[in-house]
Amino acid sequence: MEQVSTSINTASTVQSRRIKHPTWRHLIPYLLIAPTLIFVGLFTIYPTIRTFEQSLYQPGMNVRNERGQRVQQPDTFVGLQNYADLFIPQTPPHPIVGGFLQILSNTIVFAVASVGITLPLSFGMALLMNRAIRGRALWRFSLFYPVLLPLIGGASMWAFLYGNSGGLINTVLRSLNIPTQDWLNTPDLVLWSVIVVNIWKQAGFYMIFYLAGLQSIPKDIYEAAALDGASYFQQLFTITIPLLRRTTLFLLVIASTYAFQTVEQLDVLNKGMPANRANLLLWYIYQMYPSSQARGYVNAISMVLVVILFTFTFINFAFFERRSADE
Amino acid sequence: MNKRNGWSVLADIITVILSLIWVAPLFFALLISIRPTSDPLGTGNIFFGRTITLENYQRALELAPWQWHYLTSILVVVGVLVVQLITITMAGYAFARMKFWGRNALLFILLIQLMIPSGVLVVQNLNIMRQINLFDTRWALMMPYWGSVFGVLLMRQTFREIPPELEEAARIDGANLFQILRFVYIPLSIPTYVAFALVSVSARWNEFLWPAMVTRTAESRPVTTGLSQLFSATEAGTNYGQLMAGTILVVAPLVVLFIFFQRRFIESFASSGLK
Repeated sequence: MEQVSTSINTASTVQSRRIKHPTWRHLIPYLLIAPTLIFVGLFTIYPTIRTFEQSLYQPGMNVRNERGQRVQQPDTFVGLQNYADLFIPQTPPHPIVGGFLQILSNTIVFAVASVGITLPLSFGMALLMNRAIRGRALWRFSLFYPVLLPLIGGASMWAFLYGNSGGLINTVLRSLNIPTQDWLNTPDLVLWSVIVVNIWKQAGFYMIFYLAGLQSIPKDIYEAAALDGASYFQQLFTITIPLLRRTTLFLLVIASTYAFQTVEQLDVLNKGMPANRANLLLWYIYQMYPSSQARGYVNAISMVLVVILFTFTFINFAFFERRSADE
Repeated sequence: MNKRNGWSVLADIITVILSLIWVAPLFFALLISIRPTSDPLGTGNIFFGRTITLENYQRALELAPWQWHYLTSILVVVGVLVVQLITITMAGYAFARMKFWGRNALLFILLIQLMIPSGVLVVQNLNIMRQINLFDTRWALMMPYWGSVFGVLLMRQTFREIPPELEEAARIDGANLFQILRFVYIPLSIPTYVAFALVSVSARWNEFLWPAMVTRTAESRPVTTGLSQLFSATEAGTNYGQLMAGTILVVAPLVVLFIFFQRRFIESFASSGLK
């Protein structure tokens, strides 16, 4: 008891000593955080506010006045008109952002298909890699290495596989007398060709999380189930998959977030062509930003992406960071 | 028992087939890159050409100013990493071990960086770079990444696991804050630093969209833009030998790095997803 009160006394002395020199000592933590805070403020928070602000304006035209000089008219505030132009279909299609709804729908198909195919595949890969198999490191390397490649580099390898005349897939099909496909120029096919690249690139990444999850499940659960006569597949569906629910939920969030941001493959595959059928939102922004007349729209589309991504990452944070903060 | 073996063999076969499919793009990229242009795929053996040649690499090297691209990529990777290591150590320590007014509020503000990826803010960040006259410079490729909230959280977590008694002992010996970080926290966190470095290096080496927007001249452009340039060069156009030679030039450094650090790479990517 006495010891406790002594330590409280010591603590209060430290406290009072600290109050005597409040100025520079109290500044230290803020100085330590300042660099990070400045960069986050300058390159994340400020641009987000500016994006929102500019999404409410139409840029002024560059016109000639009576004396024939070029003058820049001021931007006009249009409220949510830019968003209305994006989301409300018009006939004829809007001259600048007429393709938006098509591209938004591509992006959603791209995200849903990538995530919906990649996650079960990654889970299957993790099951395969979690067994005793000769040369496991080599097989794991084979499945994981695309994660590390620049997306544009991985996609360029696929550009060769997909190539219409000199490409590998069509060459093989031709030698087997199977009809060839123009993988990157057939409107109904092209988005799926892009999705395949994304699956190949990311499956190994999610596999790692499932592997870690599998290894965290205690072995004796399986032993008990085996004693009760449960088959491998019964164990899979009643033990493994339910116990990995959290991992799946987590991967669902990060895979969706990732899918909305991956567009660099389009640079070497097909630039979003033909007819915007493989175009994705972020690539659309990249194509439009040099046009000064599209400025309001570019910012409005950016805001749409910000809201989508913010929602996913907020879910991620609410579910998972909170949990790890509690630990 | 017999049945179990049957399933095992089947699973082994699937593993091998899946791995072969996954390696195929890299494998065939390598093969076509050393195959002479005069001996295209359709003329015979799809695996090997009649001879092996490096002419594709020579042509690919001539079609883009790679020496500048490599220099820029290396400078950017190093320039980002060095600053990040300093900023994440400072902020990570503050959030792990110091109590101060507004700590949680500040942490929450920083978390916005994880919620709004800089990838979607490219247009406004481009405006900022024009305003501060850094458009088309290597600085523009580095600065947006100097503050890494993911790194701060990683270091905060790592520092918290270090026993506070070590710090107190150092303090009693008269160590100042810099010395405490230098001799207590940093040496005990090397594995986390290595993991962070691997993720940071591969992210910057692989980046394309931002460099393509914010740089114009060859001197300030990284390797990924060189590959893009190769694809739009009419001569390379659909000359897959040259295109794949360029691709190998861009991806090789990371594949080699991966072979050296394989285990650590996989672990660090697992923890990087936890941001």
